Parts: sequence; C-alpha cells; structure tokens
Amino acid sequence: MILLTRKIEFSASHLYHNPNLSAEENRRIFGKCNNPHGHGHNYTLEVTVAGEPHPVTGMVLDLKELKEILEREVMQRMDHRHLNYEVPELAGQIPTCENIARVIWQLLEPKIKQGKLHRVRLYESPDLFADCYRNGASRAGN
Amino acid sequence: MNRRTFSRTATATARAEQGIEERGTPVKEDALHIELGRRYLFAASHRLHSRQLSEEENYRVFGKCNNPYGHGHNYILEVSLSGKIDPATGMIANLADLDAFVTRHVLEEFDHHSLNEDVPAFSDKVPTTENLCIEIFHRLQNFPHAKLERVRIQETGNNSFEYAGKRRKTTRDQANRRDPAE
Ligand SMILES: [Zn+2]
Repeated sequence: MILLTRKIEFSASHLYHNPNLSAEENRRIFGKCNNPHGHGHNYTLEVTVAGEPHPVTGMVLDLKELKEILEREVMQRMDHRHLNYEVPELAGQIPTCENIARVIWQLLEPKIKQGKLHRVRLYESPDLFADCYRNGASRAGN
Repeated sequence: MNRRTFSRTATATARAEQGIEERGTPVKEDALHIELGRRYLFAASHRLHSRQLSEEENYRVFGKCNNPYGHGHNYILEVSLSGKIDPATGMIANLADLDAFVTRHVLEEFDHHSLNEDVPAFSDKVPTTENLCIEIFHRLQNFPHAKLERVRIQETGNNSFEYAGKRRKTTRDQANRRDPAE
C-alpha cells in the first residue's frame, strides 16, 4: 500500500468561547484564546490518501483532482475566514485543531473516490497539531 | 489541579443543561480516531558510553559520541494523545494541563541538564535517543486526561525516534487491516 500526502496552507481567525459557560469559566479554560475579538493562525493541512497505484497510470489518485477537492472543500470554506462565524460545519463547536481536523475529515472522506483517506493532520502552529484517522485503520507510516 | 476539577464539572453541567452535542455537525465520534500532537523543545547534553564495554569498544561503537565530556542537542519532543473531544471545550486535553504535566515530569529535569549526570534512569543506561523515548514515554504514560499514544524525539534535523509502548497487536488491529499488502 502507498501513502500519498498533499499539503496546503490556509490562514483563518478564530476564538474559543463556550456561551454556556460564564465569562470567568471561559477565561480560565481557554486563556488568551478567549480574547473577544479573536486571533489567527497560518494553518498547515496534510492530507494522506492510501491506496495501490493504478496498473496503467501508476497513480494512487490524480493529484490534480485531489488539489481541486482541497481547493473546493477546504480553501474556499476556510481560507481567510473567521472559523467561528463563517464556516457552517463548525457552528456551535469550539474551533480547536481537533474539531477542525475532524470537520475536514468529514468533508473530504466522501469526496475521495480513488484510494482511501488515511490521515488528516492539521497544524495550528509548528508545535501544535491534530491527527484524524478512521478508527481501527493502521496508523503506521506517519 | 483546580482547573481540571472545575472544567470537568463545568463540562458536565454544560452538556446536561444545554444539550450542546445537539448543535452543529453531528459528531461521528466512534468512527474516527483523533490525536492531539504537541511539540516541546529542550536542550541537554549526553555522552554515549557503556560500562559493560572497554574504552576501545566504547570508542568503536559510539565514535565521537563517546568523547569524555559529552556534547548536546536541541531535542524536539513530540507527544501524541488520543481521546474523545470534549464538546464543551473542543479539546481532547486542555493544553495548559498537558504543558504543565510535561514540564513537571520531563522538561524541568531534562532541559539544560546532562542526561548522564542529572537523570537517574541514565546512571546505568546509555542515553541514546531510543532510551530517551522509552524513559519519557514511561514518565508521561500517567497523564490523567487522555491516552498517551506515542512520543517521538527528533535528536537533530536528520534523526528521529518514536516509541509507542510495548507493541500489543490486538485482534482488532488485525481484523481492521483492509489491505493484505500493507
Ligand atoms: Zn488560536
């Protein structure tokens, strides 16, 4: 099996705030991520697809097609957007790395027809990231 | 520690009273495995030297890493945790809790120290990065808020090492292998 990874970057703003908690609770749990006007990150997304190379083309999937899927599903939704207010899939959720990675998985998985989505890794900064896999899939090959 | 108790209670209350899971995209939690990865930096010195080997053998096996006064690295420690995303916080584990735990159990003792002289585990074990991974894994294994999946240490830009605990190949892992060529 081959694992193929494509990387894209997008910039977005967000803040962490749970309306069901008091202002003090929000501040205590989320710290400066709770600042009311938000802040932003350069996110780096790595999408890994697993599959066998096609006997004729030698490709697991057409990278051009993957690029288009990422453009449509991720860039157009999230790039230069405010994740709390402009991304319906994240409505009502705290836009942490974990939640964004999960939403991106849910957006991409049904769109990838050749090969299988293996891993979504989303970096919020070089020292913080979340990985999403389908449960039970081998996690080898990171 | 207060933070932990507090946020758990707040979470439970928020869930019960507001039914927060019902909002937004339904969470297909069971189908997905989510990990949080966090990187830390520490600088430490070490000398690769085994008491079970002669001077010549030590030099032959470890080369310049055996030089008597040691040398150092900027280690990058990558810690991966798994667990359920708490709907009230959006997090597998609160970063403040994780950072405090890693600082207390690893960084305070390792950063700007000599692994050979200052870390008891390496008084009779060679402080290779392999052994460092194992030592750090054991120190972080008891993190109370999520499951430690693995530690990965980058010794230099060219070498990295990973440890995920003793390999337990469960039948579930095998049953889920979809691809015989894997
Ligand atoms: Zn942020």
